[in-house]
Amino acid sequence: MHKRTLKKILLTVIMLGIACVVGLPLYYIVVNTLKTQQETLQSPFGVPQKLYLGNYKSVLATTDILGSFLNTIYITVAAVLLQLLIGAMAAFGMIMRATAFNRIFGLVLLLGFVVPGQATLIPLYLMLVDVRLVDTRNGLVVMYLGGSIFCYFLIHGYLRTLPYELIEAAKIDGAGAGQIFRLIVLPLIRPILVTVGVFQTMWVWNDFLTPNIFISSPEKRTIVLQVYSAVGQYSTDWPAFMTLSVIALLPIVVFFIFTQRHIVSGLLAGGIKG
Amino acid sequence: MDAAPKETIITGTNSASVSTDTVRRGPAARVHGGGGFRVLRTGKLREITINQLFLLPVALVFIVLFVIPLARTFYWSLTDFNGYSIETTLVGLKNYRIILHDPAMLSGLSFTLIYVLGTTLLITVLAIPLAVLLNERFFARSLVRSIIFFPSIPSLAILGLVWTFILSPLQSGAVNSILGVLGIGPVSWLGNDTLAQLSVIMVAVWSGTGWHAILYLAYLQSIPVEYSEVARIDGATPRQQFFHITLPLLTPAIVVSEFLLITSGLKVYDLPFTLTGGGPGFATRTITQSIVVSGISQAKYGLASALAVMFTVAVGAFAGVQIVASRAIERRVL
Repeated sequence: MHKRTLKKILLTVIMLGIACVVGLPLYYIVVNTLKTQQETLQSPFGVPQKLYLGNYKSVLATTDILGSFLNTIYITVAAVLLQLLIGAMAAFGMIMRATAFNRIFGLVLLLGFVVPGQATLIPLYLMLVDVRLVDTRNGLVVMYLGGSIFCYFLIHGYLRTLPYELIEAAKIDGAGAGQIFRLIVLPLIRPILVTVGVFQTMWVWNDFLTPNIFISSPEKRTIVLQVYSAVGQYSTDWPAFMTLSVIALLPIVVFFIFTQRHIVSGLLAGGIKG
Repeated sequence: MDAAPKETIITGTNSASVSTDTVRRGPAARVHGGGGFRVLRTGKLREITINQLFLLPVALVFIVLFVIPLARTFYWSLTDFNGYSIETTLVGLKNYRIILHDPAMLSGLSFTLIYVLGTTLLITVLAIPLAVLLNERFFARSLVRSIIFFPSIPSLAILGLVWTFILSPLQSGAVNSILGVLGIGPVSWLGNDTLAQLSVIMVAVWSGTGWHAILYLAYLQSIPVEYSEVARIDGATPRQQFFHITLPLLTPAIVVSEFLLITSGLKVYDLPFTLTGGGPGFATRTITQSIVVSGISQAKYGLASALAVMFTVAVGAFAGVQIVASRAIERRVL
């Protein structure tokens, strides 16, 4: 018994050590937002002598953070909801009509999975130029709809494990396809919708490649793009840049705290995203 | 959430075996009638049409966002299309030949491979033992798990930018100030080819290890405790337990983890771009960056398309090999 406690304490020390090493860069970033520039240079790892909030005030005053947050929220919410809707509809349609043609179509959809986004980037860019969606928030939403195929696969995998009798029974009771989808299927697949939604939210929110290519107007920047664009402005003022980064990462921290459970269950659901 | 499907679509295995308990408790359970008999309905055609319509949006997405662009990429790769000239001529495989002789393109290829190899090896070697440790009992366990997991959650682009400050060549840069205490002079981490490549890989490992450790942990927790208990009673040392029991049982997780590491590594863009900008020179330029630079900044669509085609073929070939290999491995192990 005593030996076991000793082992547990020893392991705790080791694990806290590892956590410190992993967390050190994060500590460094956060602690320096509360210091003056001079103090950062003198003691980069020290605890601030007195709480200094000047960085937050100046960054909030000089950078349109609120605007980029609103852009990111709009794009993420619109893109993820549409992806889930399209994915769920497709999964439902496939269950209702599993004909040979549709099954082959389902296999062909795998292509959308294998093809890297980079391969379609240039034609899509020119296509959005043609329809005047380049440098618009909705253009980005359109780009992200490609994620529906990923949603389809996960939702279909889940839906297939549910007893088909549920749908059959509703059919016999005279429900139409739309009613079955809305009243029976959507409530049943809620767990997978949450899991997939969490992953897609992380992808869209964090994406840098697409906004960097498609957005040029400062007022339409997503938050990640906003931080990237500010790096030149703050290249000598480290604490200010760290502050901007911390503000930008704050929503993700909150998101992480609330969804950690779903992320872990999603990892088991077949290892999503790297 | 306990009813998440255990089907691994990515690895192409069909091991769907999820309990339907949650479903039976679902609201629709009451409707459950005795199916099994067929009713000839009027308006069958209408029903078929409606059901088929549910597949329409995904078909549109697939055609507009994948099929048409992919076909264009392939066609442009054989032309000298530059986006402006009205006349586009077919140039055959010229673009492909140019790529194979262009040092910038080739360095993009070589760094991407170095990155994939480095991150995959390091993350795997670190994540598996870490997962085993995280599965043991110790104090503050969930806090430690969260801290280790967290760096994989934020945008890699922002993390890359923050790391440029941490790795700053100045004495006041965080890493250099630690080295300064040890008496080692300031190191220009991002100024030298090898060091810059190493830095990119290290930051990626810092960010990604937690994610993969949690992935392994999730699989570890589904291994019955009895296995290791029996082994312990039979006198197996912890080392023997790890290599002869834990590791073989983790094979499905290893397959998934490697697949994710390799595919995301091949597509990597954000981290090298924000950390080093692809430099110094072309030392940390990736394939994706080459496609973006030549395709969008320089409007050499033909060339960029050829690169994209080669890239897609490589990723596709890899995915095919991986699916076949993982099926073979799983058949042997399970």
